[in-house]
Amino acid sequence: MANPPGYPDTGAPRWVRVFGIIALVLILLFVILHLTGHGFGHMH
Amino acid sequence: MVMTPRLRKFMLTAHVTSSIGWFGAVATFLALAVAGLISPKAHLVRAAYLAMELTTWFVIVPLALVSLLSGVVSSLGTRWGLFRYYWTLVKFLATIVVTIVLLVHTQPIDLLARVAAKAPVFTTDLHSRQLLMVLASGAALLALLVLTALSVYKPQGMTRYGWRKQHEQRALSQP
Repeated sequence: MANPPGYPDTGAPRWVRVFGIIALVLILLFVILHLTGHGFGHMH
Repeated sequence: MVMTPRLRKFMLTAHVTSSIGWFGAVATFLALAVAGLISPKAHLVRAAYLAMELTTWFVIVPLALVSLLSGVVSSLGTRWGLFRYYWTLVKFLATIVVTIVLLVHTQPIDLLARVAAKAPVFTTDLHSRQLLMVLASGAALLALLVLTALSVYKPQGMTRYGWRKQHEQRALSQP
């Protein structure tokens, strides 16, 4: 998508990118933890 | 959409109260989760998990939902908007993720409370869930602290949408 006139070419600020990476890692960790059977309330 | 000052202050009060209340309730939950994990006293462990279930359903979940809803209404009724600035957008998305994670974790919380209500002692196969309660509430506390800091510091950065809207408004206001 093209940037609107005058919008900085650098895109999202650095803190947003850092946030995104941390969030992605945490979500992946959460999904892996639950797919491996740790965490949900079922008794085995 | 612009709110009247009275409504804006009411929504802001609801948002700040519910958000800080959410943080405090999760801190209490963390203390109970640690007590449930490490205490050698069986009665204290059982009481902790029963209290955690009550705290979750009657304090944490309602406060999380009020915080999310009041945050959306507050942002839409002010110049900040919901999608115009990165800090409001990040805060909105992070609150949704934290709320979903919270709702997912009500399952093991309910399980631990059910066991606490029936069994006199906890078996070792529940240890991973007990540990998960400590880790999840610790992570939630950290996430809520970051969300509070975002609201206070309001880091710079306007989204493409916000930039376009500002451009349109400037064009409309010029004769």
